[in-house]
Amino acid sequence: MRQTNRLSDGGRIDRSKPMTFSFNGNQYSGYEGDTLSSALIANGVNVIGRSFKYGRPRGIVAAGADEPNAIVQLGATEATQVPNVRATQQPLFDGLVSQPTSGWPSLKFDLLGFSGQLFGRALPPGFYYKTFMFPQAAWKFYEKHIRKAAGLGRSPTEPDVDEYDHLNQHTDVLIVGAGPAGLSAALTAARSGAHVILADEQAEMGGSLLSSRSRINGAEASQWVADTLQELAGMDNVLLLPNATVNGYHDHNFLTIHERRTDHLGDRAPENQTRQRMHRVRADWVVLATGAHERPLVYANNDLPGCMLASAVSTYIRRYAVIPGHSLVAMTTNDAGYQAAFDWQDAGRNVVALVDTRQAPTGDCVEEARRRGIRLLIGHAVIEAKGSTRVSAARVAPLSEDGQHLTGPAEKLACDTIASSGGWSPAVHLSCHTGGRPVWNDEVIGFVPGESLQRQSIAGAIAGTFDLAGCLEQGTQQGAEAARQAGYEAKPASLPTVEEPATGNAMALFCIPHEQRISRAPKQFVDFQNDVTAAAIELATREGFESIEHVKRYTALGFGTDQGKLGNINGMAIAAKSMNKTIAETGTTIFRPNYTPVTFGAIAGRHCDDLFDPERHTAMHDWHVRHGALFENVGQWKRPWYYPKPGETMQQSLDRECLATRNGVGILDASTLGKIDIQGKDAREFIGRVYTNAWAKLAVGKCRYGLMCGEDGMVFDDGVTSCLGEEHFLMTTTTGGAAHVLEWLELYHQTEWPELEVYMNTVTDHWATMTIAGPDSRKLLAELTDDIDLDKESFKFMDWRQGTVADVPARVFRISFTGELSYEINVPANYGLDVWEALFEKGERYNLTPYGTETMHILRAEKGFIIAGQDTDGSMHPYDLGLDWAVKEDKPYSFIGKRGMKREDCLRQDRKQLVGLKTKDPSIVLPEGAQAVDDPKQPVPMTMLGHVTSSYYSANLGRSIAMGVIRGGHQRSGETVYYPLSDGRVVEAEITSTLFLDPKGERQNV
Amino acid sequence: MSELQTDTRVSIMNQMPEAGVTARSALYFSQAATQPVFGPGQAQVFLWEDALRGQLVIRGDAGNTDFAKGVSSALDLALPGQLSSSVSATMALLWIAPDEWLLLCDLEQAFAIETRLRDALTGHYAVINVSGGQTQIRLAGSAAASVLQKSMPYAVSDAHFPVGKVVTTALSKTQATVRRIDSTDWELTVRRSFADYAWRWLTDASREYGLHLGQPEHNEN
Repeated sequence: MRQTNRLSDGGRIDRSKPMTFSFNGNQYSGYEGDTLSSALIANGVNVIGRSFKYGRPRGIVAAGADEPNAIVQLGATEATQVPNVRATQQPLFDGLVSQPTSGWPSLKFDLLGFSGQLFGRALPPGFYYKTFMFPQAAWKFYEKHIRKAAGLGRSPTEPDVDEYDHLNQHTDVLIVGAGPAGLSAALTAARSGAHVILADEQAEMGGSLLSSRSRINGAEASQWVADTLQELAGMDNVLLLPNATVNGYHDHNFLTIHERRTDHLGDRAPENQTRQRMHRVRADWVVLATGAHERPLVYANNDLPGCMLASAVSTYIRRYAVIPGHSLVAMTTNDAGYQAAFDWQDAGRNVVALVDTRQAPTGDCVEEARRRGIRLLIGHAVIEAKGSTRVSAARVAPLSEDGQHLTGPAEKLACDTIASSGGWSPAVHLSCHTGGRPVWNDEVIGFVPGESLQRQSIAGAIAGTFDLAGCLEQGTQQGAEAARQAGYEAKPASLPTVEEPATGNAMALFCIPHEQRISRAPKQFVDFQNDVTAAAIELATREGFESIEHVKRYTALGFGTDQGKLGNINGMAIAAKSMNKTIAETGTTIFRPNYTPVTFGAIAGRHCDDLFDPERHTAMHDWHVRHGALFENVGQWKRPWYYPKPGETMQQSLDRECLATRNGVGILDASTLGKIDIQGKDAREFIGRVYTNAWAKLAVGKCRYGLMCGEDGMVFDDGVTSCLGEEHFLMTTTTGGAAHVLEWLELYHQTEWPELEVYMNTVTDHWATMTIAGPDSRKLLAELTDDIDLDKESFKFMDWRQGTVADVPARVFRISFTGELSYEINVPANYGLDVWEALFEKGERYNLTPYGTETMHILRAEKGFIIAGQDTDGSMHPYDLGLDWAVKEDKPYSFIGKRGMKREDCLRQDRKQLVGLKTKDPSIVLPEGAQAVDDPKQPVPMTMLGHVTSSYYSANLGRSIAMGVIRGGHQRSGETVYYPLSDGRVVEAEITSTLFLDPKGERQNV
Repeated sequence: MSELQTDTRVSIMNQMPEAGVTARSALYFSQAATQPVFGPGQAQVFLWEDALRGQLVIRGDAGNTDFAKGVSSALDLALPGQLSSSVSATMALLWIAPDEWLLLCDLEQAFAIETRLRDALTGHYAVINVSGGQTQIRLAGSAAASVLQKSMPYAVSDAHFPVGKVVTTALSKTQATVRRIDSTDWELTVRRSFADYAWRWLTDASREYGLHLGQPEHNEN
């Protein structure tokens, strides 16, 4: 297809590399070096989308990050869909597939469109609040349709096929923006030897110099760019990052850069390459050389396709060799706007008029315009654009000196493009991210960064320096300063010579008056993405919204994905004028990260799929996998849940595992339990202070159960601690609580009792722990050890012994979480699997059965053993749990929680207390979490007594068992409570002891 | 027969098993499940487990000269200061925290060294055998530093992380004690239970540079 708007020469595109692409289902062609927007302009595509609220046709306005309209959906396949891409920032590649995101149901004709009024009346400023919030239920309906019409793009329905990652960077100097100021800053800083990262959001570095008419060192400015980049690229201490947007500026000079590594190459990233990378940069010094965004002028119907920024017109012509129309009217308040007219004329097309709002402009550009014979309308403005889907004329009228009134009748000038320049707004965004507030500068006619809160400086247009010589000088200065700040010595650099036109003063003008007042005039758009008009802002101030933050929220000014880069300052100026204030008094809203939208892929990086969260494995993990275990996540550990045999239901597996353990011997991988080695002469004293029970007399070789409470007296962890030596203990914790318990111990040691001589170390991972439980466990262990006396009189319940198990040095603890005869065998983890397999070799004749966490839960519940975190929830003290025996109140030194559990509320008799529960119908297993009531017939909301904390079917008992809390439950043994369930059933249960099996504890003492 | 020893103060044990027991390092199964991306000729990253090292945690007060002298006389190694290490032919002593060091040694020597330490030290100190609880992943090659940049927030430049430095920091979502052994040779000490995750993370991060599982050919280490 012919590129009707492509110039025959010039530009930075490569005409030897043609490319095809599609937009909205149509095929077009472009060249390497194009952006999607320049290629669309080359093909004469005017209408890119329709507006959100009024459905008005919209075209390309800008050439960079400030573009509000040309937001497209990219992706040739479902898996490679990317929403919210600015066509102005998307490099063209062969085969690119793009769709408009706005304009449901179609670009050419849509529901909202044509009259532009279907929704318009229903969407006044503040429409979210006024119209849609009530009735609340209707919001869901509105939102669906508003989102669809708003053109927000869509997320892919298939997983992303590309990879994204993160890279941490540390640098002396980070320079943001590779225009004249950024490049000269980088050069100066890098020559000092400082490590420099230079990041720029565009595919090609150079910024405004790539389309500038000015000359540096007697040559085209782009030559200086090329020379500078070549020198920088040759330096080891420089990292150049093109296609990389510095999107977030966080505290402590931590910045995030979104680098698009392969988005310019194709729909998918090449193999073994990451598509996008998030650089997480910690910089000693930052130079913001982010430039400025040109402000369009606000006039009637200024959203018609063909209305563009003056600088964008120049950029398209000079950099991309495309011309967005045939006949141009350019309006400007300053000299920069003249360049568009000159470039247009040089491209061989017709400049209808150059409209300057100033009464007596001076400067080289004005002279040149006269010399070129361009029709110059001084003291005039374009008050209105005419046309339906494209500009067909501009209405131009004379303007008062202050720009606030028209002083004569309008003239209609036929044209298809209106370029406007209202001056330049420094791109202060990053300077705001950490809390800096921009300040208004009358000379700049814009907000410039206020006092910096970071180790950071600014250079170039962001500082309000708009001339090239000034930008180069400031860049050099700030580059040297950055190097100095980072500890390097920067040599004074000679500045390049610059030829650029001398400029006259600019005029502060934002909204062009119309013959009719703002509320009556055709719409004058301020924010294109959210269809915010000058009239809407006026209305908001009339309705009493005086803070600029409120105006923003009420009108949705700057709420779009462009964050109001184009319209914010104009909107603030209009608000200020309408309130008879100065812009400085009105102030500005500020920006937060991210500067431009970032893909979720780049945010997630490689933290996805099986690398999303660490999986912790025990030394026997591979065995569990090979033996068909299903796993349960406990903290980050993968614990075997149960080991189903072919054809078994879960309950059948659990029944088999439970019965085998109670009747023979079962084995559990208990390696995940936290293990803390405690050494030091005060170890015993320390343990006595963190546990509720007594430790003073525990002899070497003995083990004891302990409860750990917070200061509030509430149980948060429990476990068995063994006395390994007079000054040496091994504490065990719950699997999930291990890290917290160690931190808790360290906290108390370091802050409260630093005088105690004790060292705590985690040995959780060092010891592989296997629990053999059941009446045959002693016989099994006897087959594997000959140096531990297993006689029941010498190796008693709650003793531990050191010896050799399966030829491996081991500590064996005769403790039990099942109520059975049980041994916990600890061996160094390197030999864990070998010992485990040796146990199975010898265990075959005892039908040694592996069991998982679910069977462990059932077996311990049969004995009424609690699980901290399941049967407790941070509101239960030891007495609530019936564990009075585990509190020793007369220890010489207090213990953590002693005072807390004696608070008045903790002594109430009607607290929720842990009890056993037996359903009247033994086959019904109560759901955990079910709430007990005394009278199931009472009206809702019922008076609830407490909930079920643990509930299982016990094959050993042939019935269901449960534990739960009941108000005053310890006094209610034998009474009946009712559990109304969500399905309408009411389950009747008797309050019992939590000891369902072997209440005298005889099984573990054999 | 293993030597069993329990004094009344602390319980220490020679943890070496009888001959014939199979030791499996933390990454025994993970390594077998990993595919290299390129051969050693093209790879810029070399990754292997320095498996089954002896590892002792030593706790004490660096300001206590008796402790510092006791450690260095027992090990014939200076007690390293903050973020540094001392190295001999068979041992490396790594600073971990103001009152904590990690000794890497031959696994067979761990008990003898622990005994020497306990003989040389008095007062308040602790020695803990953690040989099975963590492992050493070695990362070498011209792109090793880039892999670390992807994995941890700490700076790896020559200036910030010279050879011999030791830093305990976040490695993706787990933790590692990172020691720079040589300009392109790094040692990462990771917890046993997290080792598989760390290994999978590192192999994934290495892929774009070309990954070879094993040592570089010139490295005799």
